[in-house]
Amino acid sequence: MKYTHYIVIFLVSAFLFTSCESDLDVELQDPNITLADDIFVSVEAYEQSLAGIYANLALSSLTDPGSSNIGGLDPGTGQYMRGLFNLQNLATDEVIFTFENDLGIRGVQRNSASPENVLLRGVFSRGMFSVALANEFLRQSTDELLESRGIGSRDTIQTYRAEAKALKALSYYHLMDLFGKAPFYDETTPPGFTQGPELSRTELFDLVESLLLEAREDLPAGNSGEYGRMDQGVVDMILAKIYLNAEVYTGTPRYAEALAKTEDVINSGYTLVDNYQNNFLADNATNGAQNEIIFPVVNDGQTVQNFGGTTILIQGQVGAQEQNGEDLGVNPGGFGGLFRLRPQFSEKFTLNPLFDNDSRNLIITEDRPIDLDIPDPNTGYITTKYSNRTSTGGFGSDRTFTDTDFPMFRLADAYLMYAEAHLRGGGGDLNTAVDYVNALRERAFGDTSGNITSAQLNLDFLIDERSRELYWESHRRQDLIRFGLYTGNQYVWAFKGGPSTGTSIDNFRALYPIPTASLATNQNLTQNPGY
Amino acid sequence: MLTPLSIFAQSTISGTVVDNNGMPIPGVNISVKNTTKGTTTDFDGNYSIVLEDGETLSFSYVGYRTQNITFNGNNTSIDVTMVEDAEALSEVVVVGYGDQTVKSISGSVASVTEKDFNKGNIVTSESLIQGRVPGLSVTKGGGPGSGSEIRIRGGSSFNASNAPLIVLDGLPLSNETADGTRSILSSINPNDIESFSVLKDASAAAIYGIRGSNGVIIINTKKGRGDLNVTLDVQQNVTTIDNTVDVLSASQFRSLVRENFPGRLAELGNANTNWQDEIYRNAKSSDINLSLRGALFGELPARLSLNRSDQQGLRRTSKFDRTTASLSLNPRLFDNHLKVGLNANYSNEDNRFADGVEGNAITFDPTQPVRDPSSPYGGFFEFRDDDGSASSNVPKNPVAQLLQTRNVSNSDRVYGNLNLDYKFHFLPELRLVTNAGLDRTESGGSLTRPSTSALGVNAEEGEFIGNESRYSNTLTNSSLDSYFVYENEFNDFGLKATAGYSYQKFEQKSFNTNELLDPNAQDPRTIIEDDVVLIGYFARTNLSFRDKYFLNASIRRDGVSKFNPDNRFEYFPSFSGAWQISEEDFLADSNLINSLKVRAGWGQLGQQDVPSTSDYLRRYQTGLSNQQYRFGTNTIIPFQPIYTNPDISWEILTEINLGVDFELFNRRLSGSVDVFERTADDLLSDVPVSDGANFSNQGFQNIGEFVSKGVEVNLDYNVFRQDDFNWNVNYNFTAIDREITNLAFDQDILVGGISGGTGNFIQVQREGQWPNSFFTYAQLYDESGRPIEGAYADLNGDNTIDERDRYVSGNGQADVLMGFQSNLTYKNFDFNFNLRASIGNDVYNNVNSSRAQLGNLDLVAPNNLPTQVLETNFESTPDVILSDFYVEDASFIRMDNITLGYTLRGFDRESTSLRFWMGLQNAFVITDYSGVDPEVVNFDLEGNSTGLGIDNTIYPRGRTYLLGINYNF
Repeated sequence: MKYTHYIVIFLVSAFLFTSCESDLDVELQDPNITLADDIFVSVEAYEQSLAGIYANLALSSLTDPGSSNIGGLDPGTGQYMRGLFNLQNLATDEVIFTFENDLGIRGVQRNSASPENVLLRGVFSRGMFSVALANEFLRQSTDELLESRGIGSRDTIQTYRAEAKALKALSYYHLMDLFGKAPFYDETTPPGFTQGPELSRTELFDLVESLLLEAREDLPAGNSGEYGRMDQGVVDMILAKIYLNAEVYTGTPRYAEALAKTEDVINSGYTLVDNYQNNFLADNATNGAQNEIIFPVVNDGQTVQNFGGTTILIQGQVGAQEQNGEDLGVNPGGFGGLFRLRPQFSEKFTLNPLFDNDSRNLIITEDRPIDLDIPDPNTGYITTKYSNRTSTGGFGSDRTFTDTDFPMFRLADAYLMYAEAHLRGGGGDLNTAVDYVNALRERAFGDTSGNITSAQLNLDFLIDERSRELYWESHRRQDLIRFGLYTGNQYVWAFKGGPSTGTSIDNFRALYPIPTASLATNQNLTQNPGY
Repeated sequence: MLTPLSIFAQSTISGTVVDNNGMPIPGVNISVKNTTKGTTTDFDGNYSIVLEDGETLSFSYVGYRTQNITFNGNNTSIDVTMVEDAEALSEVVVVGYGDQTVKSISGSVASVTEKDFNKGNIVTSESLIQGRVPGLSVTKGGGPGSGSEIRIRGGSSFNASNAPLIVLDGLPLSNETADGTRSILSSINPNDIESFSVLKDASAAAIYGIRGSNGVIIINTKKGRGDLNVTLDVQQNVTTIDNTVDVLSASQFRSLVRENFPGRLAELGNANTNWQDEIYRNAKSSDINLSLRGALFGELPARLSLNRSDQQGLRRTSKFDRTTASLSLNPRLFDNHLKVGLNANYSNEDNRFADGVEGNAITFDPTQPVRDPSSPYGGFFEFRDDDGSASSNVPKNPVAQLLQTRNVSNSDRVYGNLNLDYKFHFLPELRLVTNAGLDRTESGGSLTRPSTSALGVNAEEGEFIGNESRYSNTLTNSSLDSYFVYENEFNDFGLKATAGYSYQKFEQKSFNTNELLDPNAQDPRTIIEDDVVLIGYFARTNLSFRDKYFLNASIRRDGVSKFNPDNRFEYFPSFSGAWQISEEDFLADSNLINSLKVRAGWGQLGQQDVPSTSDYLRRYQTGLSNQQYRFGTNTIIPFQPIYTNPDISWEILTEINLGVDFELFNRRLSGSVDVFERTADDLLSDVPVSDGANFSNQGFQNIGEFVSKGVEVNLDYNVFRQDDFNWNVNYNFTAIDREITNLAFDQDILVGGISGGTGNFIQVQREGQWPNSFFTYAQLYDESGRPIEGAYADLNGDNTIDERDRYVSGNGQADVLMGFQSNLTYKNFDFNFNLRASIGNDVYNNVNSSRAQLGNLDLVAPNNLPTQVLETNFESTPDVILSDFYVEDASFIRMDNITLGYTLRGFDRESTSLRFWMGLQNAFVITDYSGVDPEVVNFDLEGNSTGLGIDNTIYPRGRTYLLGINYNF
């Protein structure tokens, strides 16, 4: 029958013509995802890729603040600056966190962190992610690839490469400081599952130093880089930090080089802003603080949203009973009284009535006992240092996410580092050191009533003054270790090591343990002693 | 017409085949034994065939007992009345891409037809077989139209899907739930379903290759038939709350505050509110179903069904309405050589979702009233600051939340298929079957709250301005299968060979406005998911020898778009055999053993249903509008590379299954026993990667293996079988043991998030343990047996209590599952009930662990506490939340359904009947678990199950009282 044949032909054709194995190569549909081969079409694209490395300091992902491109802990907690705050400030006398049932908090704030602690994993992974991003940039910007992609402006790209190297060095510096070791990766290894060799602390030191020196050559001089970007001033500051801490990192002191680098920084054109708190306000990119801040991590309530950085600091500062969020530029209740001050820190401002006039004293003491009962957010003093209000009394652009940039390095720090390097035998001049300290005092007090004499300038003074000037800026633990006060019982603070009165902690605690997951996935890494 | 006598005397035999209601059955297979001759009945049930003396006609059809009638040369008119197969398994069972005789089945296949379906308030289809098939577990969520966690033999993956493949009339369904719909099955009318075939082991499911590793459930819907038949089912029911969390009453609350935090007494109110009562209501629902079967224009067998279901949920404002229309046309053309099946279905689902406010209802201060005339928040009481605006970090009024939130959606689903089954004229043993299927859902919804709601967006000055957002979603699933089937008999050998090709494509697009009233929220965004394309080639042979010995083999070559072209294709073979022992001479006449068959099967399957669709590529992510950076004063959009795994590939499941099927004691007792072991290898796990080596510290890799072993028993017993008294019971039993045998780098993976602290996890994936095991500290007790707050055992002996002292303390999955169903008819009465039991499942009581501590009285607003705090006197949540004290044994027996009905007959038309029935659903639960319900299943926003056993309040199931009428004409 004719019809039968037609039907058979139709069916058989249907059978054959749908054999489309090429359909298995689907196209990417999400307009925000592009193949690596297709994205580097112009110099602008390279700038955007560079911005991605910077963005890793501020954002937890590129899709939304509630997502993270690293796993194992919640997005906000895994944000870079929050991780640094947890490991550098929360583990010291400067702050306590109310909710100890949040994973990992108890171990960090009571100096008893184990390798399973997720906060450690967050910092280790986030830091190495920066290294991976920088390596990818270097991988994609080789001369061959630039040539084949027809990209001009090689000088500009060269500057970008230098910035990438500097950012890579910055993250390796953080890991060297906190963990004392890290795996080595560079742009010659393609991304995948390789297990990089272990760099000891000394090897890390040499790597960081050489990356910074190499990058320095192609970066804008002094302070002349755009706000938020690497320039020679930033590189010099990081070098100053590693030289100042060289005795801790390598066993060999390098205070003379530290002093020299600090002078380079101080002579790069930075200036102190008149009002101390301007450094920590929503408009600190424009209210004068931009000249004091050597390297900021940018935050913005509309375009750079994240649950770490200054967002968590400001929201967390809000007092549970005070409900003073509005004064800080966020919603009245904030996040419910997360951060309070430990008594030993508060006393640096409250014991001596001299500091009642210190504009760095932003502590609220009314209706609060100085001593802490951790779960009760209304015990212990609180601070109002960071704020989402502007220098003219206005508000940031959002009530949840803050505009305040995080000042990773400030000129004020360089002044104090000069004084310290001098006291430790790095050369320089005592009077210059005293002048620098007094410059900060005059800025803080508004007059000379708080100035010190050269007889008062010693290491015991400096460690306290660093805390008064730089608290909550991710320096404290590094400072305490350098001054020999972190481990042992020379300096004991509330809940140090566990008990409410604090106790001595073992020396091996000067290094955090390598996270278990990191050890397991890289057989070349070894655990730090004591863990 | 008789031909002249000769040795090869042939006659043309004709007749009509009807069922036991006298209705003609089209499509009945009529074959002549030991020959290749055969035919089928037409739409009037008539047939005609040429026979020789002594040949035997065999009449067979799904759901009926095969009848064999030998032609003795006299009667040329043979009418047959098919008898429904009440006790024994159906003669023909649906397997993938075709069907097979029950006899020849050598894998583990369970077939459930309409008469075995559960009764009662069946809103979604999987409820029809809940508890009916060993190895199949269905855990339904609360809430109207809610989805279920369906698992066959426990599933076989961690991060990839554990849900079985569901094939609806030949169309494999996607596992994606459209936004705004309740589940993938919620829009299908259960009344349209004729049978389920559950393919449990690898040898049965291997024909589905890449999608079959978690088993397959084949759903076949009712088709068009000959004579006119009308059924009308009407049902009304009411659901009431059966259990709530025990919390302090207003006076107990006041005493505890007075005792512990007297400074807060002044904040308490004067009311006595039972907040949990306030958020629930008695939910009324109704369902009406009309189906018509008949021959359109006298020629075209058709079935039309219309259904309207209105379901209220126990939470106030929650509802699920569904309207469906289904049409099935089954013409036969060219002298029955071409069978056409066209199914077209339309379903509209209308939902109002009620927020999960149980948590707030439990913690809300019972001394405060629901309504407060002085409140600017719609007249509802809210905790307010001194300036009168609603406080933050306090519970919000749950009644207000329900009544002020409008979270609604509407979806249209069109699904169906066209099936062409052509028997070649020149070679009738060969057929070509083509099936084209389409499933398309368009849904959309919105979430709005008025400016008087305390949950809305906070504007500049802190005032509330409400919420508004909208979304839409389109899911399309299209498939085409084409295969040849060759069926023949040669002497004692039977052969059926199938070979073909399958193509399937999934597309998804969604749009979300995000929060329109918040200028800093993300911009509206369209997301187009990558298409997923699956292509497969398959072949199967079924060999039989003397209808006693059976050998089956299949192979499938599958490819999927998610993997690198080098890794894309894989082969999935299976072998199985069966021996019908009862056909052997030594058993053929036994009345004790009517049927005895042993089976063995081995198969391999693949799994690719992981969230990552393009991990093998090198990709870059562009920052979205609120994820940018700033250089100087300019905002710049950053790029970052994304995790890449070029070698990502299949998960492979290998399984061995041994089984015995039997019918004993004159077919009064029938059943089967299966024993299996399955190994899932190369599991796609989201596991850590060396830091710095890739663009994340974790991602999907093929690392991981787990093994599960088990035994399944199914027994059907016909207690009484007489004219007016019939009683049948079914008992089934499953015991499964699971173990993770290999995990990436021997690393524990923490899973199972809980409330009561950011980033807290209560479960672990650990080598040597069951997946998703509870991972807690070991609580220490004092001499009187009371737990000592914060005191845990130092299990590793290092004198510190830290993460290394956590241990595996239980699991949410049961060791043993049992089902029991009883069906009894006496004269015109029918009485049915079914029970389900679960033994060895644990639940972590997160309701108590995060709330039953005195410290919660002293939060920003005083929180009410579960009464368990009076026994433990715990003070601080972080000290106790990770304790094994909260892991409880939640074994239970539940009476799912009891129904009693009465059928009136004796109308003019013999087939007419009118049945009245009443029923009780969730009649009772027997358990030691202290929480609301021992059956705890959690779902993510996509409607997929995220696991069993973490109780952080659930949507309660309630108890349902039902009344209904079935009218059959």
